[in-house]
Amino acid sequence: MSNLALVPQTAPFSTDQIAALNTVVGKSNPAQRSWLAGFLAGLDAANGVQPVAAAAPKTKVPLTIIYASESGNSEGLALAAKKAAAKQGFDARVFDMGDSDISLLAKAENVLIYAATWGEGDPPQRAIDFYETLMGDDAPKLDSVNFAVMALGDSAYVDFCETGKRIDARLEELGAKRIADRIDLDLDFAKHAPAWTAKALETLRPTEPDTSDNIVHVDFAHAPDGVADGEPAFTAEAPYEAEIAGLVNLSGSGSTRETWHVELAIEDPRFTYAPGDSIGVVPENNRQIVADVLDAVGLGGDADGAARLATEFDVTTLSRRFAQKYAELTGRDDVARLAGDVDAFQAYAADRQLVDLLAEHPETLSLDQLVSVLRPLPPRLYSVASSPIAHADEAHLLVGAVRWASHGRDRHGVASTFLADHRKAGDTLKIYPKPNKHFKLPTDPATPIIMIGAGTGVAPYRGFVAERAERGDTGKNWLVFGERNYTFDFLYQLEWQDHLESGALAKLDVAFSRDQPEKIYVQHRLWDARDALRGWVNDGAHIYICGDEKGMARDVDAILAKIFAETVGGDLSAGEAKLKALTKAGRYQRDVY
Amino acid sequence: MSDTPKDTRAKNEHIKEQSRQLRGTIAAGLADVSTGAISEDDTQLVKFHGTYMQDDRDLRPERTKKKLEKAFSFMIRVRVPGGLATAEQWVAMDDIASTYANGTLRLTTRQAFQFHGVIKSNLKTTMQDINATLLDTLAACGDVNRNVMSTANPFLSKAHRAAFDLANDLSDHLTPRTAAYHEIWLDGEKVAGGEAAPNEEPIYGVHYLPRKFKTVVAVPPDNDVDLYAHDLGFVAIVSQGKLTGWNVTVGGGMGMTHGDTETFPRTADVLGFCLPGQAVDVAEKIVTVQRDWGNRENRKRARLKYTIEDYGLDAFRAEVEARLGYKLGQIRDMAFDSTGDPIGWRKGSDRRWHLTLYIENGRIKDQPGVALRSALCEIAETQSVSFILSSNQNLIIAQATAKTKQAIDNILAKHGVPQGDVSGLRRNAMACVALPTCALALAESERYLPELVSRLEDSLDRVGLSDDDIVIRMTGCPNGCARPYLAEIGLVGRGPGTYNLYLGAAFDGSRLNKLFANDVNGDAIVAQLDPMFERYAKERDEGERFGDFVVRAGIVAPTTAGNTFHNDVGHAK
Ligand code: SRM
Ligand SMILES: Cc1cc2nc3c(=O)[nH]c(=O)nc-3n(C[C@H](O)[C@H](O)[C@H](O)COP(=O)(O)OP(=O)(O)OC[C@H]3O[C@@H](n4cnc5c(N)ncnc54)[C@H](O)[C@@H]3O)c2cc1C
Ligand SMILES: Cc1cc2nc3c(=O)[nH]c(=O)nc-3n(C[C@H](O)[C@H](O)[C@H](O)COP(=O)(O)O)c2cc1C
Ligand code: SF4
Repeated sequence: MSNLALVPQTAPFSTDQIAALNTVVGKSNPAQRSWLAGFLAGLDAANGVQPVAAAAPKTKVPLTIIYASESGNSEGLALAAKKAAAKQGFDARVFDMGDSDISLLAKAENVLIYAATWGEGDPPQRAIDFYETLMGDDAPKLDSVNFAVMALGDSAYVDFCETGKRIDARLEELGAKRIADRIDLDLDFAKHAPAWTAKALETLRPTEPDTSDNIVHVDFAHAPDGVADGEPAFTAEAPYEAEIAGLVNLSGSGSTRETWHVELAIEDPRFTYAPGDSIGVVPENNRQIVADVLDAVGLGGDADGAARLATEFDVTTLSRRFAQKYAELTGRDDVARLAGDVDAFQAYAADRQLVDLLAEHPETLSLDQLVSVLRPLPPRLYSVASSPIAHADEAHLLVGAVRWASHGRDRHGVASTFLADHRKAGDTLKIYPKPNKHFKLPTDPATPIIMIGAGTGVAPYRGFVAERAERGDTGKNWLVFGERNYTFDFLYQLEWQDHLESGALAKLDVAFSRDQPEKIYVQHRLWDARDALRGWVNDGAHIYICGDEKGMARDVDAILAKIFAETVGGDLSAGEAKLKALTKAGRYQRDVY
Repeated sequence: MSDTPKDTRAKNEHIKEQSRQLRGTIAAGLADVSTGAISEDDTQLVKFHGTYMQDDRDLRPERTKKKLEKAFSFMIRVRVPGGLATAEQWVAMDDIASTYANGTLRLTTRQAFQFHGVIKSNLKTTMQDINATLLDTLAACGDVNRNVMSTANPFLSKAHRAAFDLANDLSDHLTPRTAAYHEIWLDGEKVAGGEAAPNEEPIYGVHYLPRKFKTVVAVPPDNDVDLYAHDLGFVAIVSQGKLTGWNVTVGGGMGMTHGDTETFPRTADVLGFCLPGQAVDVAEKIVTVQRDWGNRENRKRARLKYTIEDYGLDAFRAEVEARLGYKLGQIRDMAFDSTGDPIGWRKGSDRRWHLTLYIENGRIKDQPGVALRSALCEIAETQSVSFILSSNQNLIIAQATAKTKQAIDNILAKHGVPQGDVSGLRRNAMACVALPTCALALAESERYLPELVSRLEDSLDRVGLSDDDIVIRMTGCPNGCARPYLAEIGLVGRGPGTYNLYLGAAFDGSRLNKLFANDVNGDAIVAQLDPMFERYAKERDEGERFGDFVVRAGIVAPTTAGNTFHNDVGHAK
């Protein structure tokens, strides 16, 4: 793809207007573009607004903004920071840690880093290379660099914000000067991020204000493509209320799983998605768990409390953060001690929820006291299981109901069982689209694809194959699907049979782990089909992996490396290099949760 | 050029003919992971290999809504000539039941094992595990000679031993020779390109038989094998303790279709007598005549019983004797007293102890409080005994020394397996599998008969008959897999919860019963039988069986021959 400066598809113009704009802009040079920017800015001034002479550009403060993101949150904050910085006359540039190497830091002056944590306290997948070099011994000295780090995470995880914390500490170690204290943000980052960014920019800004702040510096060259500059139509805070058109548990009776197929009616054209994206669901809490929590703090029967806890607050996740806040609020040193010891707390919280801590260390609280220690109820993401063109005016989800029992209580996953137990066709569900740039069909319809999915991980592939079939794409599609039992857990079996019949699916491999004494997983089937796999990859195939099995991603990476290594005398590092190259080229994409 | 005569043969004949001696496209079907099924034609061929494709009919309603195909699985039938299995084989069957099947083992009405619930991806491995025990599934089903039964327990007497040996000889002699079985299941090397070797089937030829063929060997006075329900039978003739030869019977069978009087159950006729050394040859010739004369147009009229109805017994005997090259001998007297199994311990001529254990409908499983399957597996693993599958879905644990006998009783007690008294009705009760696995079932059978027996036990208790042997058999459809037409109380499924009630069969299995009431449910059955039991208790002659009483008392007309089965039905005039 040439690095033409193009108006993104998401610009507020019709598609043919965008095409027309791009015929001009596409072939323009920087000088032409800055003239055009000035002209456009001046255009409004012509009708009654006092024209301001284009002030000679002040020497701007350079600012390097780097994000490490997997689901787009840190990326969004980095872009917002760039916009704010640009307004204050910074020469701000945004970089994806996944596309950059360490030299970016070495030559930078002022650095703002927005870093999320994934896996079990690990950096986002694409940022691992940069992160490991930074942590490694050949990381450069950064004496002349000023920095500040915003860490994103989820307090439900033990290693909360681990990646951001490590980067912050390492930069200081390498001699860089911290200009603002690190901030660790939970899932409600949107509320706290702007203030922190503003404060950080404040400390970096030159002494007197720059007058040229009303010139919009449109930076065509460096706006990362595909990212909507405009605000998304629907968000977690302003979700779309979709009617549930269909809700069926696909797992057959006799299954050890409970996997719900959800069909949502999308009547608002502003709600758009593409296969590979996710959809955020804003759930409500189970009324029973709300009542139990209220009872535990002596607020049993408090109607207002019940209403607010049901929709506004997370009343299930037992995080160390919650324990610390509860200890402070109540002055209980037994809880403080527990929260203080990471390992002891992790053992305690492994299969307990918030209500257990309250019940085992009871205090009577007012409603305001209680809500003061609760975090907002986070939305949950689900890979979209439909194609906008094959399933017009609909979005489908595939949701695995999370249930387990421990310490004498039945536990229910908030969002998954809100859908499974408390929603039926005709009810509504609050949702918003969550684009996922890094999990997309190849742009070339003739490119073969290999889709590896375990359990609900098959969801996006239903969208992929339906979309390609609808468009009549010629690219071959190969599905490798894993679950527990053939007879009960073959998700969307009839649809895959139809696709095989029509040719939309060229090849199908299945791995059902519990049908026979020896466990069979997707990686075993990949190894069995290694010749075919190498053939497909040589034909340019893209590989996808999706699902919730913790170990699956690791095992599939290992087997793919082994498969590529086999033809070079089994040299595993060569195999791993090949896999890394595919990842870099965007031909190996993951949606692992 | 005269146009070839219109081929009116039944569909299965074409499938068999083009199947290259039972290979069809089975191998390809097994490799297709998108479905748990195999092709329609291949489902007919795999029967010859001993497996039926089925689906869980309880689950059918929900499947499509869940975007799933039917819940397919395979029933595998393991043939056990004469019903004798070793302890090691029992342990292997038990292991297969929990590893690949639905966790239960089923003893059939024809001395064979059945597994239910084996899914396609495990079919080949399961077949290999079965064959590793030197038991096999070849010809357990399909249009060939099936498992050969013999009166239970070869260790009881020399005659029983001879019957068992004949059963094995007949089974080996009449087993299909095709290499398909080994190619497909046991990774035998393919005959060049998967074609059939020339003249691979000396007895069956390319078309095999028009329909299934069932052979039994009986030792009077025990008629546990239900001689009169089978295509071919050999009856041991013993004088002064020595086997002098066999009476040969032909033309028995149960299957029929509701409302089609062209189809009917039939009791076998005695063809003649043969010497011990002639038996296998006699059997082969009878099979070849049925192969050539059997009806290949209409599978409902293809069994040997209809061939004999169509050609007449004398013509059939003449053709058999022509092919033998000698005449059959004069028919010897023979008498049977019962078709049941003697429940409990008894001593054999081998001075060892033999336990006949009552197994409700042959279903071996563990239930809360009664761990039958675990008990039997523990016995097989720890005691040196052999296992004999009876013809009434029960189990005989044979050759126990006095010490072993005690150990067996302890193991059974430990697992909560009752050995107490079973009522006279229940120990003679038999039900076919029917739901949820049998594709042909119209009504419940295995899952309902025990409940009905309990209600009838109350009626019998009230009139003091709880210890009298009365034969009651239920099937889910008129195919008659539990031989219901030879039961004193026969119940044949018509629709969900309703049955035809048949009465008046002979206790020794020599006379068919007669349709007494049509399409009746459980309440109606109890209401009809309750007053009859009361009359039977009061008016019966000394030792008179219930089946004979209802005929003598004029409640139902007797059925003297299969072709009059459908005459004079209902309450006798
Ligand atoms: C397991 C068993 C009943 C039981 O509860 O024990 C059985 C079960 C079935 N029989 Fe049978 N038959 C069984 C003994 C019989 C008997 C009894 C006998 O032979 O003494 C008969 C009556 C005698 C006779 O053959 O006439 C019998 C007559 C049939 C028929 C009717 C045949 C006919 O000529 O009309 C069918 C249907 C068919 O073959 O088309 C049938 C078909 C079937 C099938 C395989 C259903 C099917 O074709 O799809 C049943 C499998 C049910 C399941 O889920 O397991 N079964 N079947 C018996 C296994 C026998 C064995 O081990 O070889
Ligand atoms: C990009 C993305 C895409 C996703 N796509 C899908 C999808 O397509 N389908 C899908 O089903 N999910 C998907 N998920 C996961 C989904 O977002 C939720 O995490 C999941 O549905 C559980 O949410 P919940 O509210 O039901 O459970 P929660 O209330 O969040 O409870 C889940 C928590 O319960 C605890 N827990 C669960 N089981 C046990 C146990 N046995 N013992 C002890 N503790 C336990 C764990 O701490 C777990 O984190 C996706 C996630 C992401 C990030
Ligand atoms: C599969 C998965 C694993 C996660 N692991 C952690 C973790 O170990 N520690 C943590 O603080 N947050 C963890 N998170 C929360 C993410 O950091 C949080 O959602 C963040 O907003 C993601 O930012 P991004 O969209 O820029 O990737 C995890 C999230 C997911 C979906
Ligand atoms: S009698 Fe009918 S229902 Fe019962 S097993 Fe045989 S075929 Fe099935």
